[in-house]
Amino acid sequence: MTDLFLGLTQEIISGIALGSIYALIALGFTMIFKATEVVNFAQGELMMVGAYVNFFFVTTFLSAAGTPTAWTFLVALGGSMIFSVLFGYILDFIINRPLKDEPIFSVIMATLSLAIIIRAVVAIIAGPISLMPFSPFGDSAISFGTIIVSVLDLSIIGSAIGLVIIFYYIFHYTRWGIAMQATSEDPIAAQLMGIPIKRVYALVWIFSAVVATLSGILLAPRIALLDTTMGFLGLKAFPAAVLGGFGSIPGAIVGGVILGVIETVSMGTLSFHFQWIKEINDIIAWIVLIAVLMIKPDGLFGVEKVKKV
Amino acid sequence: MLKVVGVETYYGKVKALHGVSLEVKEGQLVTILGANGAGKTTILKTISGLVEPENGTIHFNDIRIDRKDPEDIVAMGISHVPEWRRIFPELTVYENLLMGGFLIKEKDLLRDRMEEAYRHFPVLRQRQKQRAGTLSGGEQQMLAISRALMLKPQLLLLDEPSLGLSPLLVQDIFATIKELHRSGVTILLVEQNVNHALKIADYGYVLTTGKIFLSGTYEDLLDEEKVREQYLGEGKYTRRADLWGG
Ligand SMILES: Nc1ncnc2c1ncn2[C@@H]1O[C@H](COP(=O)(O)OP(=O)(O)O)[C@@H](O)[C@H]1O
Ligand SMILES: [Mg+2]
Repeated sequence: MTDLFLGLTQEIISGIALGSIYALIALGFTMIFKATEVVNFAQGELMMVGAYVNFFFVTTFLSAAGTPTAWTFLVALGGSMIFSVLFGYILDFIINRPLKDEPIFSVIMATLSLAIIIRAVVAIIAGPISLMPFSPFGDSAISFGTIIVSVLDLSIIGSAIGLVIIFYYIFHYTRWGIAMQATSEDPIAAQLMGIPIKRVYALVWIFSAVVATLSGILLAPRIALLDTTMGFLGLKAFPAAVLGGFGSIPGAIVGGVILGVIETVSMGTLSFHFQWIKEINDIIAWIVLIAVLMIKPDGLFGVEKVKKV
Repeated sequence: MLKVVGVETYYGKVKALHGVSLEVKEGQLVTILGANGAGKTTILKTISGLVEPENGTIHFNDIRIDRKDPEDIVAMGISHVPEWRRIFPELTVYENLLMGGFLIKEKDLLRDRMEEAYRHFPVLRQRQKQRAGTLSGGEQQMLAISRALMLKPQLLLLDEPSLGLSPLLVQDIFATIKELHRSGVTILLVEQNVNHALKIADYGYVLTTGKIFLSGTYEDLLDEEKVREQYLGEGKYTRRADLWGG
C-alpha cells in the first residue's frame, strides 16, 4: 500500500513536470487564439525550433569555452530568447497579418503548412540525426524522505510557475498587458482608445514564441533524443486547452498540468496493474479530448462561446 | 473645427455614404439624425478612421485626417463613443478607464483624469473593481463616455447614446450630454431620438440613405413636420442588430 502511494506521488510530481510543459504550450497557443483568433497548429514547432536553437547555442559556447559552466547555459538561454523574440515578430508578419481576417479554414491550412515547413527546414539545417540534449543539472536528484525527485523536473515546475506569475502580472498590471486583453475582447473599441492593435498582435506573437522556446528548452533534456518530431508534442495543446476550457488562459494551464499527470500515472501505476493501458498510452490525451467534448464541452473553466456582440 | 466634404464610403461594393458634407464648429453641439441604416454610424466610423472613405476629404483643425489610422486620429483629439457603448466587459471599470487613457504617458495626469471621471460619476468609483459587463445599461453608457473623456478630446463623437436605455435614463444621458457641451466640449451627436437631440443641439443634419437631406437649427427642422414623419421614421423605430462586427 505505501509502495503504491510512494509510486503514485512520484508519478504525480513527474506528471506535473510534464504537464507544466503542456501548460506552457497551451498558454502560448491560447494567447494567440484569444487575441487574433488564429488557431496556431505550429505552436509545437515553435517549441521544437526553440529547443534546437538553444542546443546550437549551448554546443557553440561549449566548444568555445571547453567545460560547461552555469554561464554557458545562461548565455545560451539569452541567445535563444533574442532569437525567439525575432521569430515571433517575423511570424506576426508572415502569418498573422495576412491571415487575420481570413476564414478559419484558410488559417488552419496555413498554420498546418507552416508546421510542416518548419520541420523540413530544421531537418535540412540540422541534418537528419537526432541530437542528445543535456541538462545543466545532469542527473542530479533531491530526495524528500523516500520520494526522489529529479532536479530537472523541479526546474521545469519552478520555471513554469515563474513564467505563469510573470505573465499574470503583465496581463493584469501593465498598460500593454491590459491593452492586450482589451484588444482580445474588442479590437475596434481598442482602436478607438488609441491602442495600436497591430503592435499588440506583434507583441502577442512574440510572447507566444518566447513561451514556446522556453518550453522547448525545458523539455529537451527530458526527452532522450531531440529531433524534429518534438513538434508533434505541440498538438497536446489541444487536449490541454479543451480540458481546461478552450480560450481560457487559466484553463490552458490547469488543463495542461492535469493532462501531464494523467499521462504519467497511466503510463506508470495504471499500466502496471492494467497491461492494456500501455497499448493506448499514446492516445490517452486524445481520448481525454473526445471525452471532454462529449461530457463537458466548455471544459473546466468554460468560457462562453459567444465572443463578440 | 471638423470639415467633411463629399465623403463616399463603401462596405465592399455597397455604397453606404453618397457624398456627405457637414461641418462642426468649435464649441457647437451638432446632431446627425436619420432612420436605421441611413449611414449615421458610417459617418462617425469614417471620421474616426475605422473605415476609409473612397472619395472626399475630412479635415480636423485644417489637417487632413481621412487617410490616417484610428490611433493617430484619437491622438489628435477626436474621441468616439461607439454605438452600443462597447465597453470591455471582462475588464474592470478601473481598467476600462485606464484604457481610455492609454495614450497618456504621465502617471499623475492619468490619475487626475481618473479622479475627474469618478467625481463626475460617483457610481463608477463605487464599482471600479467590478467587471464592466456587470454594470447596468445606463452605467455602461456613463463608463463609455467617461472612458472617451479620459483624453480630454476637442471633439467628442457620440453614436446613439440613448440606445436601449429606459426613458428615465435617456433623460439622464441627454442631461449629461448637455452639461458636457456647456463645459466646453464640442460634440457631434448621432441620434434617432429626434426630439431630445434637436432640443440640445445647435445645429442638425438629417440623413437619408447615405445623403444629407436637410440641415438647419432646431426651429428650422422642427417646422418640417412632414419631413420628420417621412424621413426620420419616427415611431417606427426598431432595435436592430449591431452592424459593426463585419
Ligand atoms: N460592416 C458593414 N458591412 C456591410 N454593410 C454595412 C456595414 N455596416 C453598415 N453597413 C450598411 O451601411 C448602411 C449604413 O449603415 P449604418 O451607418 O450603420 O447606419 P445607421 O447608423 O444610420 O443605422 C446600411 O445599409 C448598412 O446595412
Ligand atoms: Mg448606427
